[in-house]
Amino acid sequence: MATQMRRSGPGEGRPGQQGGPGGQQGGKKKFFYRRKRVCKFCVEKIEYIDFKDVKTLQQFIPERGKILPRRISGTCALHQRKLQNAIKRARIAALLPFATD
Amino acid sequence: MRTYEVLFILSPQVPEEETASLITDFKRVAESTGAKLTNEEAWGRRRLAYPIQKFTEGNYHLFVFDSDGSLSELDRRMRNSDRILRHMIVRTDLDHKRAEKLVKRNPKKERARPAPAFPATPEQKVPEAEPAAVEGE
Repeated sequence: MATQMRRSGPGEGRPGQQGGPGGQQGGKKKFFYRRKRVCKFCVEKIEYIDFKDVKTLQQFIPERGKILPRRISGTCALHQRKLQNAIKRARIAALLPFATD
Repeated sequence: MRTYEVLFILSPQVPEEETASLITDFKRVAESTGAKLTNEEAWGRRRLAYPIQKFTEGNYHLFVFDSDGSLSELDRRMRNSDRILRHMIVRTDLDHKRAEKLVKRNPKKERARPAPAFPATPEQKVPEAEPAAVEGE
C-alpha cells in the first residue's frame, strides 16, 4: 500500500495521466479491511509487565505456546519487549509452557 | 537498595511440616546476609506447565526481599537443595522505577483526552507487589 501511494504521489504532480490510473488500479487490487490494533498495555497503562501475572500473559500465547507477534497483537515495540521478557521468565518458572502440541 | 523477587517450586513429595521448616530456613539464610523480607506469598500447589523431574505439580512460594547486597548465598543453597524443583531470583527495582517514570510521562501526552492520570500513578506500585489473582488459581 505504502509504495503505491508514493508512486501515485509524484505522478499526479507531473503528467497526471500515467501515474494516476496506475496507482488506482494497484489500490483496488490490494484493498483489504484492516482492523485498527491498539497496544493493550498502553491503553490500560500497565508499564510493568509482571511475569507472575499469568492471566495477562496468556492472552499473548496462542495454542502452540509461541509468543504472539507484534504485527498480530498490535502491542507497541516497548511493551512487546517487556512482554517477551515476562513470558520467558514465566516459562522458566513453569507458569507457561515452552511448547504445546 | 535493591528489590528481589524469589520464586521457587518445592517438590510435591515434601511433607507439610518440612515445607514450613524449609521456608523458614531459606528466610533465615537471606536475612543473615542483610536482606529484609517485605512480602511473602504461598501460592500452594499448582500444576506445572511442563513436567520437571517427572513431577506435574509443584508447591509454589514467593519471597520479596529488600537488600543492599546480592542474594548469592540463598541462590547457592536453593540450587543445592534437592527439595526445590526450580527457583528464580529476579531483580525488580530498576524495572519498577522505569515503569513509574513512564507512567508519569504518559499523562502529558494524553492530556487532550479526559484521563484521571494523577490518582492512578501512586497506586500502580501496589498491584505488582501482591498479585492476589494468581493465588486463587
